[in-house]
Amino acid sequence: MKVVNVHARVRMELCKGCKNCEMVCPVYAAKVKKKKGEVQVEINDQKCVGCWNCEQRCPEHAIEMVPCEPYTLSTDVASFVYKEIESLCHKARFHPKQVVCYCTASRAEELAAAILAGAKTPDAVVLATGMGAGCGIECNQPIQRFLEAAGLKYERPKQSYQWYGRTLTVWEVSPEVKAQHPVFHFDEDRRLLDRIVKAPVKF
Amino acid sequence: MNREIIPPAAPRISQYGVDPKYVPKRGAELEGMVSVPLRELIPDMPKILYPAGQGEEVIRQQTEAALAKVNFSNIKPGNTVNILASHHGFTFLGGKPYAEMLRTIKDVVERETPAKEVRLRAGLGMRFRETEEYIKAHGLDEYFKGKALGVAPIDAGLPIETRLGTLYGLHRVYDADIIIHAHNSDVREVHFHRQVDRAVKPFGMSYARAETRSTYHMNMGPRAANFVARAIFDSDFVQSKYGFSIFMIMCPAGVVTIDADNDLYALNDRITVGGMKYYGKIISLFGAIDECIVILDFPCPVPYVFAAGVIYANMVGANIDLFDLDNPLPPYTWYTETFYDDRGQPIIPDIPPVNPAIKMVVHNYAWTGYPATFFAEHTPTIMVGQKQAELFNRDPMNLNYMKHALLAENLDGAMEFAYRTAKTEKVIIFDGATGGMNVSRSLADYLLKFASQVSERVDKTLMPKWLAQRNVDVELINQVA
Repeated sequence: MKVVNVHARVRMELCKGCKNCEMVCPVYAAKVKKKKGEVQVEINDQKCVGCWNCEQRCPEHAIEMVPCEPYTLSTDVASFVYKEIESLCHKARFHPKQVVCYCTASRAEELAAAILAGAKTPDAVVLATGMGAGCGIECNQPIQRFLEAAGLKYERPKQSYQWYGRTLTVWEVSPEVKAQHPVFHFDEDRRLLDRIVKAPVKF
Repeated sequence: MNREIIPPAAPRISQYGVDPKYVPKRGAELEGMVSVPLRELIPDMPKILYPAGQGEEVIRQQTEAALAKVNFSNIKPGNTVNILASHHGFTFLGGKPYAEMLRTIKDVVERETPAKEVRLRAGLGMRFRETEEYIKAHGLDEYFKGKALGVAPIDAGLPIETRLGTLYGLHRVYDADIIIHAHNSDVREVHFHRQVDRAVKPFGMSYARAETRSTYHMNMGPRAANFVARAIFDSDFVQSKYGFSIFMIMCPAGVVTIDADNDLYALNDRITVGGMKYYGKIISLFGAIDECIVILDFPCPVPYVFAAGVIYANMVGANIDLFDLDNPLPPYTWYTETFYDDRGQPIIPDIPPVNPAIKMVVHNYAWTGYPATFFAEHTPTIMVGQKQAELFNRDPMNLNYMKHALLAENLDGAMEFAYRTAKTEKVIIFDGATGGMNVSRSLADYLLKFASQVSERVDKTLMPKWLAQRNVDVELINQVA
């Protein structure tokens, strides 16, 4: 769950139309166009999640974040049968109460609920939960692991630097790598994560 | 012990922290604070190169000397070269020594090789303009003739095939024929890397895309995660571009030397030993503190504020041995953070608690730009100043921080409350004081009493165990010392 309290605004007098804002937006809310040689940037306020990515990466400092009427991005876990939530979490190898986004403190159960509610792509998950609208880094893999666990495939838009793909987990490390590098404690760490995944849910 | 305090690191003008005018009083200015020189705590600390009164020139000399040992033959005529740096290096001593090391590398590579162009690519954490601020502050943009860039984990990526499958690096890091890995050796995030492949870590972090960083912090487990960087560094792609590595070698009191090597793993072994020997003593000494009030007072996000050369996150986990790989999980890592449920209870019973010696935290000055709510959730925290609270309430990574922290108008009021509530007079200030640490007199007495015992335990008992766990030759201790 995330409270959005700022939106992006473009100072067109500084913008040079480089499209960086479009490329780093996790929900594709920024669109840069050229009409009759003139640059136009549209920020869709209905989509903007207040993550600051565009403001932080604009080379011209042409974007500022301005306060907006706060609203919440969240999915209600209680709307779903908890067994279904639990099942999807386990398939993605997370405990339902485990934190999957440090910035929003979103838990795996909410991520599962968002997908059960119809989110089929990473950007849809961000809009449904607020995950991915903080640092934009650490929840990257949980989101992609959950989508894969739900059997969902998506294609990254070419006009984007977002969501390059799901990467390997400790459950998938090859026996050769594990045997060659015992200092990394692969199997012990996998067992630790397994214990977390399988621990009973307490309400 | 000195009655006069060591000047704390000055607040910096940055978009991630409040304007320095909103930091009217520093923890070190509080009544009853003293400084303890680190050499009184750890007498065998190595001689310091910087700061030692000779300015940055000594960094240039040592960088030149270190580079004289390097084989440059893989830099061919017409090659482009990226010097890879990280934001962390700029947080030492105002960033001056690291910036001078980077300038010298450029000069030497241009002088000694047929490279066509030498650029600077400085990796970032979560504050996507931070190295841009450092590049400007140190004039590196001009020095590199406009070819100095900050590179962020959300910038354009590229796939790298590794023994862990496809991982993702940053396009701007690898957009040259040759890369030079220029970093710093302090243990810093030992709670994450556990002094395993410390020197290799930036390949999985500073130089990597968000996907790879998330792999490290979410997909692998607390110790296995450190293989991510090794997998990338060992990849054919990175090896095809790798030139050499050069490190600013640190000990808790400052810069010891500059070390360079074509063989990153040989350099890594030397860093592993030095890191454990000196930082191991400081962190173990922090672990011996029975109770204290912590003052955060440094221009960095909450976990990265410094005292005695180590960061606050190390203090948070100092109640267990962070170097002992038999301990799977430190009290603070991002894995640990995920393992608390929504009632604040650990999901399995053996999650180590946050250091119970920290009775209260006074947040006098620390930056946004890192998810820090965990710290306020697990230790009573007082934020100083409305302006700073407002900054945290706007930061997308810290929207919940102030839900768990109290607000005080000023430092004196915060400390009055802290003394009364925490019921201890022991105070440690994470303010980046160089060569020593600023603490209350009671804590100074305590540290001086226990320091020699801790040092002896590290030398005789812990070091042999730590080195054996990492397959590092014990003989290296003598070479590094």
